[in-house]
Amino acid sequence: MLERRLYRHIDWLLLGAVVVLCAIGVTMIYSTTHDPTAGAAGPQVRTQLGALALGFIAFAVLLLIDYRWLSDSWVTIFVGLLAMLAYVLLFGVVDGGAQRWIGLGLFNLQPSEFARIVVSLGLATVLYHRRWALQTPVGWLMVAGIVGAPALLIYQQPDLGAAVTLLPVAFAILLFAGLRLRYVAILVAVAILVAPVAWTYGLQDYQRQRISSFLDPELDPQGAGWQQRQARITVGSGGPLGKGFLQGTQSQYKFLPVAHNDFIFSVLAEEQGFLGVVFALGLYLFVILRGLDAARLAKDRLGRYLVVGIMSGFAFQVIYNIAMSAGLAPVKGLTLPLMSAGGTSVIATLAAFGLVLNVRMRRFTN
Amino acid sequence: MRPELDTEPGLPGRDSMTIPLALMRTMVVVAFAGLGVGFWFFQVAQHEKFAELAENNHQRTIALSAPRGAVFDRDGRRLIENRYSLNISLVREEVEDIDATIETLSDVAGVPLAALEAVIERHRRDPPYRPTVLIRDASLGQVAAVEAHAIELPGLFVQQLPTRHYPTNEVGAHLFGYVGEVSDAQLASDAFAGVRSGTVVGKSGIEQIYNQLLMGTDGARQVVVDSLGREIDTLGEELPLEGQQLQLTLDYDLQEAAEAAFEVAGFDGAAVVLDPRTGEVLVFASVPAYDPNAFAMGIDGETWGALNSDARLPLNNRALQNRYPPGSIFKIAMAVAALEEGIISSDFKVPCGGGGTFYGSYRQCHSSHGTVDLRTALEKSCNTYFYTLGEMMEIDHIHQWATALGVGELTGIDLPFEVGGVMPSTEWKREARGEPWYPGETISVAIGQGQVTVTPLSLAVMMATVANGGTRVTPHLLKAVNEGNGFVPVRRPVPRSEVELSPETLSAVTDGLWYVVNRAGTGRSSRIEGRDVIGKTGTAQVISLEGRKAAGEDDERFRDHGWFVFAAPAHAPEIAGVIFGEHNDGGSRSAPIAKHIMETYFAKQDGLPRPVLPLPSTPQVVPPVVPPVVVAATDQD
Repeated sequence: MLERRLYRHIDWLLLGAVVVLCAIGVTMIYSTTHDPTAGAAGPQVRTQLGALALGFIAFAVLLLIDYRWLSDSWVTIFVGLLAMLAYVLLFGVVDGGAQRWIGLGLFNLQPSEFARIVVSLGLATVLYHRRWALQTPVGWLMVAGIVGAPALLIYQQPDLGAAVTLLPVAFAILLFAGLRLRYVAILVAVAILVAPVAWTYGLQDYQRQRISSFLDPELDPQGAGWQQRQARITVGSGGPLGKGFLQGTQSQYKFLPVAHNDFIFSVLAEEQGFLGVVFALGLYLFVILRGLDAARLAKDRLGRYLVVGIMSGFAFQVIYNIAMSAGLAPVKGLTLPLMSAGGTSVIATLAAFGLVLNVRMRRFTN
Repeated sequence: MRPELDTEPGLPGRDSMTIPLALMRTMVVVAFAGLGVGFWFFQVAQHEKFAELAENNHQRTIALSAPRGAVFDRDGRRLIENRYSLNISLVREEVEDIDATIETLSDVAGVPLAALEAVIERHRRDPPYRPTVLIRDASLGQVAAVEAHAIELPGLFVQQLPTRHYPTNEVGAHLFGYVGEVSDAQLASDAFAGVRSGTVVGKSGIEQIYNQLLMGTDGARQVVVDSLGREIDTLGEELPLEGQQLQLTLDYDLQEAAEAAFEVAGFDGAAVVLDPRTGEVLVFASVPAYDPNAFAMGIDGETWGALNSDARLPLNNRALQNRYPPGSIFKIAMAVAALEEGIISSDFKVPCGGGGTFYGSYRQCHSSHGTVDLRTALEKSCNTYFYTLGEMMEIDHIHQWATALGVGELTGIDLPFEVGGVMPSTEWKREARGEPWYPGETISVAIGQGQVTVTPLSLAVMMATVANGGTRVTPHLLKAVNEGNGFVPVRRPVPRSEVELSPETLSAVTDGLWYVVNRAGTGRSSRIEGRDVIGKTGTAQVISLEGRKAAGEDDERFRDHGWFVFAAPAHAPEIAGVIFGEHNDGGSRSAPIAKHIMETYFAKQDGLPRPVLPLPSTPQVVPPVVPPVVVAATDQD
């Protein structure tokens, strides 16, 4: 049960910022999906509100359960994640050439969204218990397995974006767990060497196309470069003060694809302008720095690793998505956590913040 | 039992956290700063550019073509009007697979695929947002088929366009002209200032010369479209303004009579009839003609090619684009010049023994006329008489008086492409040939041969000037303009020049020309009982008699052109004009056409039924298969 003294240590500021970002998200989803002739909100708004409700329940649950208890059960949780990912590959719902979802009737569950939390939990627990892990081959094998197994399964869907987000998670935790900078240098060198090979053999055609069209959007203005070009137009035409709520021509007239989802931030930029962008960027920056504070304050290394993993994954996704929304990064199916329409993303993100607040809240307990 | 001591020496602990945490915070702050700068760059620094791009994305300006003004004849009959045609057009930027689209269109509309491909190819360089017309003047069935397949044919739409319609078809074609898309050359000229590329403008005739009045002002509709090109909203609309209506001086009854008479006569040529008192053009015809309706929708290559390669040159406006020797018609100018210069009086007599020697060479007359005075000389068209006048006169005096009557001059008619003729003088010879004038040349000029050439139109003016006593009226077609509040007459153009011919001159010339028609002269087939028609025939030799014999008498190309000028009634002419018969072997065969026009004129004046043409007495002349050789080139020589 939540004791009174724990309740006092809930980070209300962080929670407040998260709620405001969710509210902005819902508003922007309404803007891009409402039907002006019928004057009705799109079905995505209702779905998002439902997901938020479930998300805050998940948030509460993960806040109340002591994270150390979760850590003890990490193997069960990890196996559960792998099982879900395997199930997706075998029986998942196919949409847009990818098999990423488990059909649940009311909505589709996307297990890869939970991978970041589970991988954070797994890495944190292993590195916490085996202090010398990074000095032993067995330890490295375990790290590789915890990151690699879900990443491989997710990559098979295929969902390169979600698989890649596991890398900053792992990297941040390893850094805190004492990874030598020497190893970092080796990793970077290997990455540079592997890049051409990965380009040739590791990427799907559409992924290569997205990257080349990012480098030169005019190469294929009707195809892959289209989204990126339209994203820039959307953002740029918003101007300093924006076109106003429901007034964004790019989003309202559907020039911007998947506006309510991956490009929600472009819609914000178009309708609320640079002012709105600065406000939202400020909120996200606050959430990330405040979240990292929990790592500093954490009572033990377990909590610290857990928070660092979750927050780095969150930060990576936020930064990448916002960059992409202005055409500053190749188009990748990564949602903007807290704002984009997407049931599983909302639930998983809020659950993750439950853990972050959990660690901070319990900094004085034993 | 969990290990709780984070500060154990040699192990990562609370102290070792500071560096990675600072690193992460720095990375995050730097990344956010970068994002802030990026958004500032797009949203503040480059806002204008992107705002314009966004506007281009969702706003379209649809041009609304203005209908051109209608054109009426002097009695208010509608000569040129508009109809609405349906065009099936394609906006290329909205179509992903153009090949598939036109294949489908070819199927549903029953149009050959190759034709559609040719259209796409021709407009390949147009901006992709501009509609390309794939099917002009589509049938209702084709429109219905396309609309039924709208989902498979994105980017296709049906445009309703005002289109020029000429209900009289070929009648009056050279006068009305035709329309077409403005050419690059036209766009560069001042007359077409402010005209957008692709606009339909006049290319010839009235359509061209009064293009600015007729054209009207195009409107535009600003619409909002979504990413599929569907119109969502109208931002603003400026309705097109119809062009001004014109009333012409033309009398369609006479025009039709003239063209019908040519058809019965069976030869090509031209007819111009004026009101000699004002210069109003009552008839303006060039035969053969073309159907201006073929141009209204943008003429297809095949029809255009056929018109251009037709040996009869239907696009050639014989009334004002071609020059011919006036032949004996010029004797009228000679008579006026000799009388006005005081060289002779009207009873000056010359014996004609079938010819005479002038400046050392023998010149033939076509008959032996005995002793003739001026009146008889005109009646009989006696060459010997006029050779003698030529011998008595300076070329510059002849030039002065012939020019006063309009011979060789531009008439200033309100139609494009008019060419001037040549009325030689010593100055002209020096400038054009760099040689002095030889008096012997005057002898040829005296009977309208040699260097002198005229357009049929300028002979009509000459006849009108003689008929009205010396005022060289400016032939004109525009009578009144309706800017929207009813027809307002336009100011009549001032005469090109004015002389007062003496009563003696007028009496002598009029008598002579009356004899031509009303006695045993060459123009008797234009005689109308009680109407006192005056006239004069003339022959424009295409080739010398010897050459003609050498080439074979029957060769169509070498047959002479026949002129007939006329006016009526003799002492107060209301109508004057010229008939030019191409290769019709002489002016007497042109006279019946003039008679039919005048009969129609008088019948109309008296409220009688229009005269019926006699059936052709001879079978129709077979059109020549090779281009006719004309003495005067159609272009600058």
